[in-house]
Amino acid sequence: MLHEISLTVNGDHHAIVVRSHHTLLQVLREQLGITSPKRGCENGECGACTVLLDGLPVNSCLVLAPEADGAIIETTEGLSAGGELHPLQEAFIQHNAVQCGFCTPGMLMSSKALLDRNPHPTEDEIREALVGNLCRCTGYVRIIEAIQDVAGRGEEG
Amino acid sequence: MHPYDYCKPTSLGEAFQHLTSPGKVVAVVAGATDLIPRVRDGVFHPDLVVDVKGLPRLRDLTVQAGTGSLFVGAAIRMNELARSELVRSHWSVLADAAASMGNEQVRNRATIGGNICTASPAADTAPALYVLEGLVQIAGPGGERQLPVADFITGPRKTALRLGEIVIGLVLPRPPDGTVGAFEKLSRRQAGDLSIVSVAALAIPEAARPSWRLALGAVSPTPLRAAESEAILAGDLSDEAIDRAAAAAYGCCCPISDIRAGQEYRQAMVINLTRRVVRAIISRMPADPPCC
Repeated sequence: MLHEISLTVNGDHHAIVVRSHHTLLQVLREQLGITSPKRGCENGECGACTVLLDGLPVNSCLVLAPEADGAIIETTEGLSAGGELHPLQEAFIQHNAVQCGFCTPGMLMSSKALLDRNPHPTEDEIREALVGNLCRCTGYVRIIEAIQDVAGRGEEG
Repeated sequence: MHPYDYCKPTSLGEAFQHLTSPGKVVAVVAGATDLIPRVRDGVFHPDLVVDVKGLPRLRDLTVQAGTGSLFVGAAIRMNELARSELVRSHWSVLADAAASMGNEQVRNRATIGGNICTASPAADTAPALYVLEGLVQIAGPGGERQLPVADFITGPRKTALRLGEIVIGLVLPRPPDGTVGAFEKLSRRQAGDLSIVSVAALAIPEAARPSWRLALGAVSPTPLRAAESEAILAGDLSDEAIDRAAAAAYGCCCPISDIRAGQEYRQAMVINLTRRVVRAIISRMPADPPCC
């Protein structure tokens, strides 16, 4: 069954037709060509597909495509929409918080959601916010340092 | 993924029609965090998925006038419970259980209605709802009814829902002022994992001594109230009585061995977690009024 939905992705409005049994991840990657959300476990464990849905981090592999009707979606592509990297992206580079890069877009979106909600998190709060984002390369330490760096920079987070 | 149709009714009448579609395997969905992996793994093949998030009352989170009970709509999400000042005000054991579940992303999708309708023995909201003596508000083509949560969950992935019925929400009576609650769970990691054992308890002030409610999760086909433990604690809160109450909790559970833990380990941990929960509550109970 096909559904007409409209959604906003990184500020761009899209009116599209989606299949009942597709997920938001499929819509983003295969219909809209937005490939920063990665297809990982498809079970809600790894967080590689994390996007913000109405401001909250969700696994886009666990959102039905028609459920996204009316949603405001943010992905890593939107973080540098003005041509400049987001402070979190800069900090990930500065701290070598990226190795293979597969988890990075999800890490960035979970980190952004955390700092939007809590601009000055403790290390425990950072670790708790990233429980649903697995990284098999970095050991997490540098990712946490990058987020702490941004969180320590002032009020805007 | 196995193809299926999707609909999002906006009235109960429309929902009942879909739920009773002849010859179709119909699945109710709210957060979809359980449904999508099961469909993707090929263990469930629905023809039609009915999204209940557009139905009236399912997104309500309010105190009912008159009774003071909390109404939690079935489509209220785990993080909404965990971060609600209202829920924390008198029903904090439920907020603590919700906060312990899954990860941030899953808690932003998973719903309380989904958690009890999936009826996993390891559902973390269930022990909290058992000690709060919550009622499930059910609507069906024949009208509405209420059922205690403990009668609603009948087995692993089994509930008392009849054909065409859906859960509207939960009604949680307001515990008396001075009630202290606690929730503890043990899992392989500190966060982001299912329970090996979970324990919820409430101590409710009474004229003489507080009465107790204690519920265990993940150690039997359904969550359990540990009635014998409750009776022991109502009579005596000495270290020796706490040990007896913990041993009684051990006695009433019948866990399985699975990928998360063996049966014997689970049973042993029931003792530890029961002690921990009881002691946590005692440490936070209001001091006795001065003797006169």
